[in-house]
Amino acid sequence: MFRKGFALLLALCLVLSATYALAEQPTKKITILSIWAEDNDNGILLTKLTDQFIAEVNPNFSYEYELVSADNLRQKVATMAASNDLPDVFVYESGTPLIPFIEDGYVLDITQALTDLGVLDKLDAGAVAILSNLTSTEHIYDLPLGLNVEGFWYNKALFAQAGIEAAPTTYAEMQTACEKLMAAGIQPFSVGGADKWPATRLINAYVMRKLGVDALAKCAAGEMSYVNDGIIEGAQLLQDMCNLGYFGEGPTTVDYNTAANMLMSGQSAMLYNGSWFTQSLASADNPAGDDGIGFFNIPVVEGGVGTLTEYSMNCGNILCLSAAKYDDATAAWLKYMVSNIGNYAIQNSGTLKGYTITEYPETLSNYTIMVADEFSKVTAASTWFEATMDSEMTATAQQNVQSLMNGDMTAQEYAQALQDVYDAAN
Amino acid sequence: MSRVLRDRRAILLFIVPGFILYTVLVILPVLWSAYYTFFGGMIGSSKWSFIGLDNYARLFQDKKFAAALMVNVRYIAMTTFGQVIFGLLLALMFKFWVKRFGSSVRTIVFFPVVLPVVAVGQLFTKIYEIQPYYGLLNSLLQGVGLGNLVYPWIGKADTALIALAAMDIWTAMGFYSIILYGALLDIPGDILEAAEIDGCNAWQLFRRILLPLLRPILLTCFVFSFTGTVKMFESALALTRGGPGTATTSLSMYMYNTAFSFQKTGYASVIALFIFLLCVFGARLIRAFDRKD
Amino acid sequence: MTTVAAKPENKARKKVRVRNVLIAIVILLVVLIDLYPLFFMYSASFKTNNEFVTNPAYAFNQSLHWQNYVDSWTRGNMGVFFTNSLLNTSVSLVFITLFSLTISFALIKMEWKGRKFFSQYFAFGIMVPVATTLIPLFVIYNNSGLYNTRLGLILVYIASAISFSVYLLSGYMRALPDEILEASVIDGCNIYTMMWHIVAPLMKNALITVVVIQFFFKWNDLLYSMTLISSSSLKTMQTGLLYFSDEFGSKNWGAIFASVSISVTPMLLMYLLLNKMVIEGMTAGAIKG
Repeated sequence: MFRKGFALLLALCLVLSATYALAEQPTKKITILSIWAEDNDNGILLTKLTDQFIAEVNPNFSYEYELVSADNLRQKVATMAASNDLPDVFVYESGTPLIPFIEDGYVLDITQALTDLGVLDKLDAGAVAILSNLTSTEHIYDLPLGLNVEGFWYNKALFAQAGIEAAPTTYAEMQTACEKLMAAGIQPFSVGGADKWPATRLINAYVMRKLGVDALAKCAAGEMSYVNDGIIEGAQLLQDMCNLGYFGEGPTTVDYNTAANMLMSGQSAMLYNGSWFTQSLASADNPAGDDGIGFFNIPVVEGGVGTLTEYSMNCGNILCLSAAKYDDATAAWLKYMVSNIGNYAIQNSGTLKGYTITEYPETLSNYTIMVADEFSKVTAASTWFEATMDSEMTATAQQNVQSLMNGDMTAQEYAQALQDVYDAAN
Repeated sequence: MSRVLRDRRAILLFIVPGFILYTVLVILPVLWSAYYTFFGGMIGSSKWSFIGLDNYARLFQDKKFAAALMVNVRYIAMTTFGQVIFGLLLALMFKFWVKRFGSSVRTIVFFPVVLPVVAVGQLFTKIYEIQPYYGLLNSLLQGVGLGNLVYPWIGKADTALIALAAMDIWTAMGFYSIILYGALLDIPGDILEAAEIDGCNAWQLFRRILLPLLRPILLTCFVFSFTGTVKMFESALALTRGGPGTATTSLSMYMYNTAFSFQKTGYASVIALFIFLLCVFGARLIRAFDRKD
Repeated sequence: MTTVAAKPENKARKKVRVRNVLIAIVILLVVLIDLYPLFFMYSASFKTNNEFVTNPAYAFNQSLHWQNYVDSWTRGNMGVFFTNSLLNTSVSLVFITLFSLTISFALIKMEWKGRKFFSQYFAFGIMVPVATTLIPLFVIYNNSGLYNTRLGLILVYIASAISFSVYLLSGYMRALPDEILEASVIDGCNIYTMMWHIVAPLMKNALITVVVIQFFFKWNDLLYSMTLISSSSLKTMQTGLLYFSDEFGSKNWGAIFASVSISVTPMLLMYLLLNKMVIEGMTAGAIKG
């Protein structure tokens, strides 16, 4: 009886609040341009939270969810910007690609907007630091949709099988581990060479250990040449590893997903990946189970300046708002999203998105705990290889990495090609 | 008769709708493209400005452009010849070898034509696969004792373009086989009989009788195939995404990237114009064979 | 006597038989080369993602993973993409045949002053590749509101096909005897009835050829639809199939092949129904070079 009455009361409240809302809340339809399907990854986050916002706050609010493939994202957004028709909300790439939009005033100043709304503290300070660093601006102009550390993931069973007792902490140890694995008939690494970025990440890892976390930023600023020891040695190492068969046959044909699945199903012992990987690892489909995969940070290079507490970090793809289309209705949505993303993500997918979390779920997967543990060790962070490059240079870096892996190009030529593009543009 | 055929209003009605569409969406853009070539930056952006002939000067120094041109030319050569020659072989097979189930065989051979190119690309990615497991091609090679030929076909610069051409030949050869088969059927039976009585062997029959008779239609097939291959975009994007390196990056792909991802509208227009000239040149070349006799 | 004569005959017969067997093997191989990928596609569409990694691609299924189809249909929007492709292609094909028929007739058979100029004008477009027109088209569409509309895509499909189709039909049109037209005029046909009742039926095979060729081009178009369409609700199958990769390019192979199967099956059925007309039309017509 009490329950029934309570339900009735609740319904009444809902109706009342709905009518109240109908009278008060502005009607607004926004377009969200995304690279994730509605039921995948951040797509779930964006659509579910917006649905909640509509149900709880503004029933007059509605949205259209548009999908574009990740490969096509930059092109799509650039052309929309050129015709002055950016979507209200869009997923984009952080850092260099965003800078022209900031300069032309196309995207909303997030720091300012969140300050006005009084919810700036909902953003994780680390994420804000990464984002503002990437665009070299005091304010941030994008919302994080992830907070990731990157490093090497390894299959514990295969390491044990090959007699490797501890995760490598230096490149020399990693080399020894590879030899042991090869001797045991295990493919040491898998890499998604067909998708290119997983391969350039391996060069980046070496560079940040050899020359420090800010090496590529220095190159981009013209303080250092791209033809440097870090890039040349890192590229050489990648090529050597290919030649030694550490990545198996034809690594330039393997897509990222296959490479990741190979690690989980025990066909390769190591994989370089970011902590977004925990979502796949924690899933019930993971053949390695909830404790079969381990993580180690990028090993140190002898004679290099990098240390084991420096990580390669990023905020994934980010979310921008069109400055021209921003109004009170969108502001209310923004406030709601920023206030809820952190808790929603940790509870529903066990992932960190770069927002403060107030309610942790009762049980966290081993992998989430593992990543949280890594986060606690971070003292300095580097970004990914192409973060400071424009799109032409990014294309060069990524196309050439395949040639490098195939031995069609030397490490020296690889570095020189980057410098050439840089010189042509500056 | 001529009163009917001189009907002004009918002529207007027949020509004008197509004319307008064609002029606005085909001719105008070509001219417009030519105009853009004198500008730098991205259209609509603050950097869009008149730079004279700089884009043209850049073209001649651009190694990536030269590489893309070479890829395109090699691809056109391989694919065009492959499609038409395999089409011809299939047509000859239909005509002289296939006795039973003729229409079923022709139906099956034609069917890859209706598959979406992107779908075919995904399919062939798996056929050429090498890691984690050998795909069909590599396992076949291994199965027949040619294990040393196992290769990452689409992962290496020296074979990726060939692998791509092979896929596109597979897709389209059925199409040309049907056209050429139709032409073979049009050749009167008594010509073939007379040749046989004269003691022609198969090669002579082909060389002396069939080839001359088929020539006009073979040329048409070459034109078809050329117009399809000169743009080289869809299949390369689906199978190799232009890789490895730039081994399968065509002019169209390079132009597309330059325009939409590097945001250099003017320079991309120069490349676009060049593709047009390539097309004109190719069509002239094929026509030159037409006029030989 | 009979034994002496029979021997070489037997030999010859044997030779013929060996030859026939060899020929049959070649034909069988050709058929297999064309059919195997299809078989592979259907089998792959029922595999779990894990199977792609743990088993060779050509291995038989370990499971019947229907979920791929559910994923592809709901998440991949394949239903929408397929409808879009079919609609865009068929509507533009109708207008392509209509325009190219009337234009080639006006250019070849009708008598008027500018027809020589216009013949060349229309022929010019054969040499214009898709890529050349792309950037200005994008600008034109952006400014005229045709960007990201179905109409816009269909219009450019039609426009880009006119040259080639007119060129093709002109060959047949020349071969059409004037006497037939004359007779129809004497029978009291005006220009429109002549077009509809005499010319069009006589050009049937040529039109089928045009339709098949243009179908091939439009159905496979990626460049136009990638550039001129942005909404997922208007995307075509080709762009849709490129979709199954997310932020880091990961591929859900099972769902990809399920989508491929979804897109291929109706085409295959349609083709099997119509193939007699298509193949006969194309062979009987034999392009007039």
